Amino acid sequence: MGHYNILKSVQEDEEMSDIELYLFEVDKNKDEAQRIAAQSVSRLEAKTLKLIDLITSLEPYINDKDDGSIRAKTVTYLADVLSSLPARVLSGQERRLLCDFILGRIEGDAEGIGASARALTALEGMGKWDVATIQNVMRTFIENTHPLRQYKLQTERYALVQLIDLLLAKYRDALRQLHESDHEFMPGFISYFEGEKDPRNLMIIFSLLQVPMTEWDIHANAQDLFDSVFNYFPITFKPPPDDPYGITAQDLKDRLRDCIAANSDFAPYAFPQLLDKLDSTSMNTKRDVLHTIQACVVGYEAKTINLYSVTLWDALKFEILNVQEEDLAVESLKALGLIAAKFAESAEGPLNAYLRPIIKECNEHLEDAPTKQSEAAGRILHALASSAPAVADKIAKGILPVLFSLYNGSQSITKRRGLLEALNEIVAAYVKLDEVRPDLNVEALQAFASDALEAMIRALLHAPRAEVSFRLASLKGLSQLVSIRKALSEKETERAVDAITNIVLHEQIEGHGNIRAQAIEALTGVAHSVPLVVRDRSVPAFMVELPDEPSDVSAQAPVLEAFAYLSTERQVFDTVVLRLKNKYGSARHQEAPKTYQRSLLLALLYAFTFGAPMQEDGITRSTYYTEYAEPLLTDIASSGQGELEHSTLDVIGRIVNVLFRPQGAHFQSTVYNKNLQWLSSAVKDKAEAVSLAPFTLQYYAAIRPEVVDAEDLVSVLKAQSHLARQTTSDPGAIGTVLRHISLLVNKFVNPKTMQATLEASNIEVGALLSGTPAPQAIGAAFAVVKGLLIQGKSGALATRYLQALLELLASEGKDVGRHFATLLAPDDILSKENHCLVSGLYKQKIFNQAVPFMIEAVRTADTSIKPNYLIALSGILRWLPYSVIEPSLQSLIAPLLQTLDLNEPGEQEVKASALIIFESLLMHDPTVVAEHTASLVTRLLNSTTGPANNASVRAKALQCLALAPRQLKREAVVPYRRQVVKKLQACLDDTKRSVRTEAVKCRTAWLGLDEGNDDDE
Amino acid sequence: MDADKDNANPTIINPSDLPSRRRSAPTAKRPGIFDALAPAYPSLADPLSSPEASSDSASSDEEREEIDEQEVYDLISTISDPEHPLSLGSLGVVKLDDILILPPTSPRSRISTVRVLITPTTSACSLTTVIGLGVKVRLVNALPPRFRVDVRIKEGTSRTADEVNKQLGDKERVAAAMENKSLVNVVNTMLATCE
Repeated sequence: MGHYNILKSVQEDEEMSDIELYLFEVDKNKDEAQRIAAQSVSRLEAKTLKLIDLITSLEPYINDKDDGSIRAKTVTYLADVLSSLPARVLSGQERRLLCDFILGRIEGDAEGIGASARALTALEGMGKWDVATIQNVMRTFIENTHPLRQYKLQTERYALVQLIDLLLAKYRDALRQLHESDHEFMPGFISYFEGEKDPRNLMIIFSLLQVPMTEWDIHANAQDLFDSVFNYFPITFKPPPDDPYGITAQDLKDRLRDCIAANSDFAPYAFPQLLDKLDSTSMNTKRDVLHTIQACVVGYEAKTINLYSVTLWDALKFEILNVQEEDLAVESLKALGLIAAKFAESAEGPLNAYLRPIIKECNEHLEDAPTKQSEAAGRILHALASSAPAVADKIAKGILPVLFSLYNGSQSITKRRGLLEALNEIVAAYVKLDEVRPDLNVEALQAFASDALEAMIRALLHAPRAEVSFRLASLKGLSQLVSIRKALSEKETERAVDAITNIVLHEQIEGHGNIRAQAIEALTGVAHSVPLVVRDRSVPAFMVELPDEPSDVSAQAPVLEAFAYLSTERQVFDTVVLRLKNKYGSARHQEAPKTYQRSLLLALLYAFTFGAPMQEDGITRSTYYTEYAEPLLTDIASSGQGELEHSTLDVIGRIVNVLFRPQGAHFQSTVYNKNLQWLSSAVKDKAEAVSLAPFTLQYYAAIRPEVVDAEDLVSVLKAQSHLARQTTSDPGAIGTVLRHISLLVNKFVNPKTMQATLEASNIEVGALLSGTPAPQAIGAAFAVVKGLLIQGKSGALATRYLQALLELLASEGKDVGRHFATLLAPDDILSKENHCLVSGLYKQKIFNQAVPFMIEAVRTADTSIKPNYLIALSGILRWLPYSVIEPSLQSLIAPLLQTLDLNEPGEQEVKASALIIFESLLMHDPTVVAEHTASLVTRLLNSTTGPANNASVRAKALQCLALAPRQLKREAVVPYRRQVVKKLQACLDDTKRSVRTEAVKCRTAWLGLDEGNDDDE
Repeated sequence: MDADKDNANPTIINPSDLPSRRRSAPTAKRPGIFDALAPAYPSLADPLSSPEASSDSASSDEEREEIDEQEVYDLISTISDPEHPLSLGSLGVVKLDDILILPPTSPRSRISTVRVLITPTTSACSLTTVIGLGVKVRLVNALPPRFRVDVRIKEGTSRTADEVNKQLGDKERVAAAMENKSLVNVVNTMLATCE
């Protein structure tokens, strides 16, 4: 009917009004309708259309008696126009009139209610409303559109909710007055939103309700207001997939929780209902309850919490005493702590009333220690004591007397251990508080500190060594006590530090009972709180154990390691490295055993690598280089050839490297030029160059590329290439030289002149590989290519060279194949820290350039050379992350299966790497192997037995095989069950324990296949 | 809920006090903290001498590590107790000292015996049989067939020891028990925590 009317008018009247055009388009073409509304806006702006005319033109439609939808669309038009109208176009009077007009309609007609709300929102945006208008708007909506749920469209309700939210956000006072002057308002307001289910609307409703909840006196309406939100508890909303609004259950939970916690008047309803829901069988509900209780404790007033504190304790304790889920216990502990913190800020009475039953119950649990309950008591005491100094004080006064009388009254080590663990929990709370609360009063702890210290030192030094947990508890207790300021006297602190040092230095227990590692850790922790005591007492004690010239070097190793580990604490770092340096100086001077000297150097290296040296601008201070690395360099320069062993030079090189490489170019340049002369004359002699190789490699690795000039570089590269081609040197030295070549090629050679530089240095790959290349030449070629590939700047050249290496596989033996494993093998020299160029994509590139070629070659190659390709392929694949391999899995399976058939002793590595890939495959992409199940299972089974397979291959094969029943479809693996289970019996008797362990797991997995199914079949 | 359990609050052994191979057998070479400082990578010159290959050399591969009591302990100590969410090891139900491996009785026989004595958490524990069954099933599946598995209740620790021992020693009664579906389920749940 309505459409017909409009059409008729279109035909009759040339000059249509905007509303007519709008109504004509709105259902068919939203954009066009918007355009028409925009046109009205510009006409109003340009004053070619008067507001009064526009309203008059709406008249027939906004009052259409027959068709509600026409009325609604007309209001929508009005809302569209007002929403885009700039603020100053309408006068205050016009806005008031419009406001009255819209409100007037609402009283008689609810059609287009959402649009009415939008129109009002737009009007409000043009200028603030006075108190009367605000109250009128609110009242009109609550009275005429109650309840909200009568409107079926979410968008309509959304517009209403937004308007109300706007009012509550901006006009707090006016609306509070409305509430105060009209007691009937609140009930209507509360029930207005009842039944809303849409998460977008609820997000706003939960938010707007917080205004009355937190700011108004709602004592009389508390229950209704509370129920209106608690009805939604717990939130079980799951957003639909691809939810465009991005509202999560967590968002709703957060807002709902804020509502519940908003007003102390809710407490009589909130706590009983929350605690009731704490008995829920759903862990998620319990989680929500606990979070909400925490929020309530924070939000409600202390005097309100006081009424419920003991009730809460009685309920929450069960979550801790009988842990269902660890996180629920943690949240319950947090809630208990928050309650205590609340009272700690206010009066003492409520705190005492709250703590009394807790202390009583915890003391009872301690009587039976160690039990689950006594352990839980420890956790509870910790959570409470950590909450505030006043609480810690009361806990200590309430618990420690009982704890120590139980301790002294029992001779049972197990019992004493349980009690010490509880004590440690309380002391740990003091440690926490000590760091953040300067007002911490430790008197209550102090009263028992001496008793605790005595008990712990006695336990540590005199308890049977097999009582590991007892001694560990004592160790932990000691280091905690030391770290609390003023808990111990100076003398007592010294005794505690001595006791810990004593274990580190003098306790030599093999196997069970050895707690040195923990003692070292504890000593390092103690060094942080009392560095002076450690410096004055522990360090000298260490030095006594580290003579200049030890008779038995191996005895010193544990002491030295512990000493080096101390350097991880910045407070004692400088002391540790200085002592180590001096010790090395004396050892070298007195010609102590070489291994001892090297150990001292390793300790220094450890300190500078993993310790905590002082820094300047984020890098290790350069003075460490001057004081520690330079003397070592001078020592090398003045030593005769061969005086320092390779392995020693390697460590010196690493110390120099770690101290030198972070320094700036200017500093490096000075050092480089100072050393250039002796270094280049030293390496002129071939034997000297070989013997210094481990040092020079590390030294050059530290240098920034801009420090070395091009000419120096060619001569260094030439020298290295000459050394690499020597046939006489030992493989270790050659390996070092080759790494040096990779480093120089990668870091120092200008990519633009790469080939020319390589030619000038006699290591151009084409030349190296021409004719029948010697093994040394092949090695050098791989070293050059490695440097280039990782650099990624000389793409074409690298590709050409890599191709040349691949072609070698057809003629040369397996050795060339094995070389491929070196291309991607990790090398700590070629790193960004060493200023090398490391392309982000080099692994991907090598894969793309080499692997398809190899797969094809495996398919077509003669059986005699096929292993070359399989070995080379595995050498590449071994170092690639699975994500790089993943897209090509399909084509890799055939060659990988063939790799498992390689049976020579030298090929175990190759097999192991194939198995690792199968393991990832079964884990991540089992469908890819599904069609190869038969051959995979057979080959894996064949790889589980010796002697053709070494232990690590056997173990890995069993790990893969164990994945099959879990990862592949049941019907695909069941046919092999009998065979596998039978064959694995032999593996249960493997010679190696590690293999047997895997065999048990694997067999369990296969045995599990038939569970419950045999009966059905 | 706790009231239904035979022993609602048993003593629990701290994990660091449980016997383990790492603690009981001193290793020949202790790994030091300096070892990682100068790592060995596959050498460019000699790709055959990769560090992994050398650490796993053929000679040590031949050396046999015999199945011992600790290994048996490791197989069964991780079984879960049917009524506490705790392992049999941490409850002291199985103890290293109560495991014995007896060599073959005659030179011609290959059959060794593993004897495991079980200590129930209370002398009235009604689930003793189930625990024994779980231990037995685990060992039969995890040990090579040259071992005979003998699981018993430790003397003086259970009022029903004789009856339970008779059941566990009787092959047919064990087989019959393992056809009882609900029993199988209980046993499987217990064994689910074993690796």
